[in-house]
Amino acid sequence: MNNLDSDLPTPVILTELEKGVIEEIKEHGGENIDRCIQCGKCAGSCPVALAGFLWFNKRFIHALTLGIKEEILDIPSPWACVSCNKCTEICPRDVKPFEVVFALRRVLVEELAMPTLTMEGLRTLYEYGHAVYQTTYPETRKKVGLPEKPPTTLAYPEALEELRALLRETKLGEIGLIPME
Amino acid sequence: MKFGLFLGCNIPLRRPDLEVALRYVYPKLGVELVDLEGASCCPTWGTMPSVDLAGWCSVSARNMCIAEEKGVDILTVCGSCYGSLSETRHKLLHDARLRDEVNRMLGEIGKEWRGTSQIRHGVWILYKDIGLEKIRKSLKYTLDGLTIAVQPGCHFLWPSEVYVDKERNPFRPRVLIELCEAMGAKAPDYSTITDCCGTGGLRSTNLEKSLKLFERKIKSIKEEVDPDLVVTSCSSCLLQYDGSVKTLKDKGRINFEIPTLHIVQLLAICLGANPDQVAGLAVTSPEEVIKKIRGEE
Ligand code: SF4
Ligand code: SF4
Repeated sequence: MNNLDSDLPTPVILTELEKGVIEEIKEHGGENIDRCIQCGKCAGSCPVALAGFLWFNKRFIHALTLGIKEEILDIPSPWACVSCNKCTEICPRDVKPFEVVFALRRVLVEELAMPTLTMEGLRTLYEYGHAVYQTTYPETRKKVGLPEKPPTTLAYPEALEELRALLRETKLGEIGLIPME
Repeated sequence: MKFGLFLGCNIPLRRPDLEVALRYVYPKLGVELVDLEGASCCPTWGTMPSVDLAGWCSVSARNMCIAEEKGVDILTVCGSCYGSLSETRHKLLHDARLRDEVNRMLGEIGKEWRGTSQIRHGVWILYKDIGLEKIRKSLKYTLDGLTIAVQPGCHFLWPSEVYVDKERNPFRPRVLIELCEAMGAKAPDYSTITDCCGTGGLRSTNLEKSLKLFERKIKSIKEEVDPDLVVTSCSSCLLQYDGSVKTLKDKGRINFEIPTLHIVQLLAICLGANPDQVAGLAVTSPEEVIKKIRGEE
């Protein structure tokens, strides 16, 4: 009992740079991150945690609050979030953990630390207006008696051009993740 | 009653049988559907929401603008579309700076988001606007003797703050249960009813973990409910259930098969639609259940 002090973890001292991580998260949509009290309710309701990933909402929030970023750049689980928002529903402190996880994704994208599937979705969104794209769709539709093309950007080339022009206005145009011609 | 039909991606490109069901059910129940010509992906979570907050809202707002120009509210039966559109609408309504930035971008393509069109889930429209009584009276076939496990899907429930229509207790959802009961089926509550089906980012990041999560849920459904059919209000859940039951069975990880239908497909069948057209693309065959419903046994 007399050496209690030495059993306590060393406090983490935030440098200016590390403090910047929280600001970055806030700027990207995770405004309420520092309301978190690490109660764990978000983790208890998170499918990502239930599925057995070692990193999930509560742990990301903790790490980011400590100013840790480099160490979590290559962890796959920010991308495993199913966007279910159960955590946001349940959080007693209105942290909106989903928004923090997605702010983290946006920060990671700026570092180009993202899975190839994300790139593929962005590419087909730009090319066809549909992130979930299937080349076989005309046959599938014909099978159930529908016209080959749905009345979306697929059937309206001028609407697709409009969407592309809009996408070029977004950060997607700025960071040049995909060819945008 | 008139709504703008927002199709998204999954429904028109992967499960257009559900699109046929939509176009059958709503007019039959007195709701006119108009197409939102030139609409795009909602956009879904792995794309713009993961890249740029304002960019996400602008693509979503462009879709909403198409409905605004037609003076209609949006109807969708895809969880992801419902979630993405409702969340961005909520953000745009409550964040003036974001709204200005989005409208600046939309201005470049000659559009402006005004927020006049609401985002409605087609299942809520069945429940609230059309009503159980009218549905009950319109049925050609009822579901007597059938047991159903319902899968409301995450985006039917959370975050309740952003949705126009809300369950009284989102952790004990009732709407889908009551709809199934109104059609004559038993639809008991069960312990994992609000668990995620495991699709989305989870599935694309780690297929095995996604399957494990699904396996856990479908086993609890089998044990607690032992249903003839799973009924969902989300097109993503539909794809996950329909495909993964088959996968797990083929791998020998489960020794049963339970088919899954979207509630709109089931309703179409009960209203007398051709099952091949409104449910013909299922991988886990619902044929037996459909025969039972239509009294063809
Ligand atoms: S539920 Fe909210 S307060 Fe509790 S750990 Fe999660 S984010 Fe923090
Ligand atoms: S939104 Fe993401 S972080 Fe939150 S509970 Fe769902 S999967 Fe977990």
